[in-house]
Amino acid sequence: MKSSTLLFRSLAIIIFIAGGAQLAGYLTYDTYAANEIETNHLDLEETDTTYEEGESKQGEAQDNSSDEPLLTTIELQGKWGVTYDSEDFTGTMVYDLKKEGKAINAYLVEYQDENGYGEAANGEKVLVIKKFDGKKGKGVYSVAYEGETYEVDCKITIIDEKTFQLSYDYYGYGDTETWKKL
Amino acid sequence: MIEFLSKELNWIDVEYWFHVLNDLSLLYIIVPFFVLEMIRYAVQKRLTKDLIFDSVANVITFGAFFVIEIILGILAVTKIYFWVYENFSLPHLPLNWITIIACVLLADFAYYWEHRMMHRIGIGWATHTVHHSSEHFNMSVAYRFGPLDAVMPIVFSLPIVMLGFDPILVLLSEVFVQVFQTLLHTEIIGKLTKPVEFIFNTPSHHRVHHGSNRQYWDKNYAGILIIWDRMLGTFEPEVEKVKYGISEPLRSNNPIKVFFHGLSRLFRKINRTQGVKNKFLVLIKPPDWEAKA
Repeated sequence: MKSSTLLFRSLAIIIFIAGGAQLAGYLTYDTYAANEIETNHLDLEETDTTYEEGESKQGEAQDNSSDEPLLTTIELQGKWGVTYDSEDFTGTMVYDLKKEGKAINAYLVEYQDENGYGEAANGEKVLVIKKFDGKKGKGVYSVAYEGETYEVDCKITIIDEKTFQLSYDYYGYGDTETWKKL
Repeated sequence: MIEFLSKELNWIDVEYWFHVLNDLSLLYIIVPFFVLEMIRYAVQKRLTKDLIFDSVANVITFGAFFVIEIILGILAVTKIYFWVYENFSLPHLPLNWITIIACVLLADFAYYWEHRMMHRIGIGWATHTVHHSSEHFNMSVAYRFGPLDAVMPIVFSLPIVMLGFDPILVLLSEVFVQVFQTLLHTEIIGKLTKPVEFIFNTPSHHRVHHGSNRQYWDKNYAGILIIWDRMLGTFEPEVEKVKYGISEPLRSNNPIKVFFHGLSRLFRKINRTQGVKNKFLVLIKPPDWEAKA
């Protein structure tokens, strides 16, 4: 068999299998096609100039919740808190979510102890939300474990206007965190 | 159906299934089958000293291969895989049945090409000839590995990672293909039904692959699916009785000789080849290539 025939047949097989998997991944992720972050749900400046950080967008939430009543579309930018109760840390970590380019990045800005006393954090980037349609999203989350930091694929699910859940499964080591708007 | 295939799975479950299929298969199928083969040899009065020493050498070469594999894995492979996955990969695929099936198919296809390269380039054959040098054919032969057998798969599986498949899933799929391959190393099973023989690699097809009969050279490279050989022109059915081994027999069961004989033959060939360019060509040209005098 000619080398060129071998090459083209092999490429066809790879494209058929890998392309099929990518297409299935694309189609089954229900929000994937709907947006690439720049949708009006996320672009604060373009859609609502009177909106202030920390406020929820009630009108928009109502407009988009008709088919899935448990989920509402919300604005992610702004400050969010996650409460932890572990050996390493007990209290709330405050994250600042900012839209930068096509992604939304979350920076750790403050530690708050159980009594609400705050201490500034180093501002490290802990989360990159690559896709978000106002209801669900996908990104990469930095998880620290035994002194090492791992970049882990994560999913975001909006619970209500002021709450979303961030979940990840790193080869069986997973967690679901509840992020609350501050 | 589509909903089932695309439903996201938990890593714990997936790793458990692969653990059962890959790791535990040694206990519930491979070892019992090998014992059965030994009993069959005994009944047929073929259980010779040579066969026993050959089987022992096979297991020892596997131990050496395993050590190299572990060192390579810890030092480089997993790090390279994850680095490529994070930096040079298509969008990461979700963990569902579609992804797992596609990954196993691609791992199987990569195995076909990796295996073909092992036969068709000098450095590849120098390590893979160890696997073919046994003149017996049973499950222990599946564990007869050469010193560089862990290296070639890296080159062929990295592109799968670049296509968006999780590195751990790729590694698990590769082991799955290898375990399937292991089960083919037997003389006990004859030919299976026509549809199975048409689609899947079977003991019959793999006996051909191990044949030193001239018409069986460089045939049936498949792991799980024989259709790759049919599509890419390397299929050969089992017709003539297979004579196992290599064209230049090793005639030794010394595990060290078995493990290194391919490399030592390659170095001897390089030494006697004239010219730097020709010496290099010995590494990448087919094993039977000789420089023009």
